[in-house]
Amino acid sequence: MYMTTGLWPWFAAALTLAIYSFLYKDNPFYKIAEYIFVGLSAGYWASYMFWNYAKPNLFDPLFWPGDAARNYWNIIPLILGLLMFTQLFRQTSWMVRFPLTFVLGVALGLQIIATVEGDIIPQLAGTFDPFLKSNFAAYNFWQAAGSIVILGGVITTLTYFFFSIEHRGAFGLSAKTGVYFLMISFGASFGYTVMARISLLIGRLQFLLGDWLHVIK
Amino acid sequence: MSILDRISNLDRRIVFVAVALAVIIPLLIPVGLPVEVTPPVQKVYNVIESLPAGSVVLVSIDYDPSGAPELYPATLSVMRQCFARNLKMVVIGMWATGVPLGQRALKQVALDEYHKQYGVDYVNFGFRPGGAVMLVNLGRNIHDVCRQDVYGTPIEDIPMMEEIRSAKDIAFTITFSMGDPGSDQWIWYYHARYRGNLATAQTAIGAPKYYQYMQTGQLVGLIGGMKGAAEYETLVKQPGLATIGMDAQSIAHMLIIGFIVLGNVIYWFEKRRKK
Repeated sequence: MYMTTGLWPWFAAALTLAIYSFLYKDNPFYKIAEYIFVGLSAGYWASYMFWNYAKPNLFDPLFWPGDAARNYWNIIPLILGLLMFTQLFRQTSWMVRFPLTFVLGVALGLQIIATVEGDIIPQLAGTFDPFLKSNFAAYNFWQAAGSIVILGGVITTLTYFFFSIEHRGAFGLSAKTGVYFLMISFGASFGYTVMARISLLIGRLQFLLGDWLHVIK
Repeated sequence: MSILDRISNLDRRIVFVAVALAVIIPLLIPVGLPVEVTPPVQKVYNVIESLPAGSVVLVSIDYDPSGAPELYPATLSVMRQCFARNLKMVVIGMWATGVPLGQRALKQVALDEYHKQYGVDYVNFGFRPGGAVMLVNLGRNIHDVCRQDVYGTPIEDIPMMEEIRSAKDIAFTITFSMGDPGSDQWIWYYHARYRGNLATAQTAIGAPKYYQYMQTGQLVGLIGGMKGAAEYETLVKQPGLATIGMDAQSIAHMLIIGFIVLGNVIYWFEKRRKK
């Protein structure tokens, strides 16, 4: 076994151990690592956004276009962007509403279409298609059973969230079945969450045991 | 104090140590548990295999270093398959902190392993901000969104981009995604408008949500978490970090299942004792 002599693996290993030290109890090493992470992330994002987005797309075409024609349309996003900083002062903070309104309007317009086109219609079609098409008979047993379970799951889960009718009798039974579908769904999500968290631990340990300590390849 | 009380009041740090050992020991002494390939992962592989040489694959690196243990091995495996089949690759990313990961993967696979030529066989446009708005424009006019690559080269000076203009020129798209912006935006804003073959490699925490999009045909396949990455490494016959990690993953899962069963048994006994 030999430890790496590179500076950065040592620095990364020290930060990793500092973060994991929180599992014992809160301590100054954890705090230092946490603050370094937050500061570095914010700095990296700000710097990257300016040099790779704002400068080539906004400032260069407007102020330093080179051989290309100056793009005066960029004045609009420049003003909207500058207005975002007005919220730093109490007297001018009301002006931040203009860029926010613009952003909200665009986002809302895009989201409504996207939800209908990308989610509601395809998902509804996917739920009912196997039954509307005549090819249901061509399905094998498991495909047919899967389609029935999906349709049953959608209908019973929707009945659980329908509160205008009292959950009694046949309607109550459907709602209760919907709860079981929800529980299975939550269980699957929990299982995947555990897997994700263990994967992160594996990733860090592969770094510590491999790149730092060199006890695994 | 009875055994039951001792277990129910167990210091949680003992649980942490047990989980750490369940991961460390299999990493040091691999068991070599088999990795079964599941249909969602096989479908991604099959679609790429069906593409003729020279087809364009769009790869989106939508994760940061915290998602790398799950998504980086999958990124390497998909890139290996694409370059082995002589497909052309356009790389972008919606996470600024993911750019170095994309560059590292391209250097390792495209340059070192397959000796591909930058600008002719692959190109990296790096971080493309704007999320949904960017994707809507990307499908319509790639040149409008990607004016220069990650090294500052104008798109007009990149030979392979002469013929790649819009979503129509892309044969297959895959997003390696760990959150927002990511798979949701690709499905809702890009695929809903421009269709085509779209697949996602997703961190395990978000993977269950995307099975429904496979059922509707909006996704052609899904690589879920480190397990999906290990399956892909098996398919491309190049076991890597994900395959090595699967031993540790399986043993840690067994331990956690044991803890869940133990916790429920204690809960049941305590409930019975109170009665």
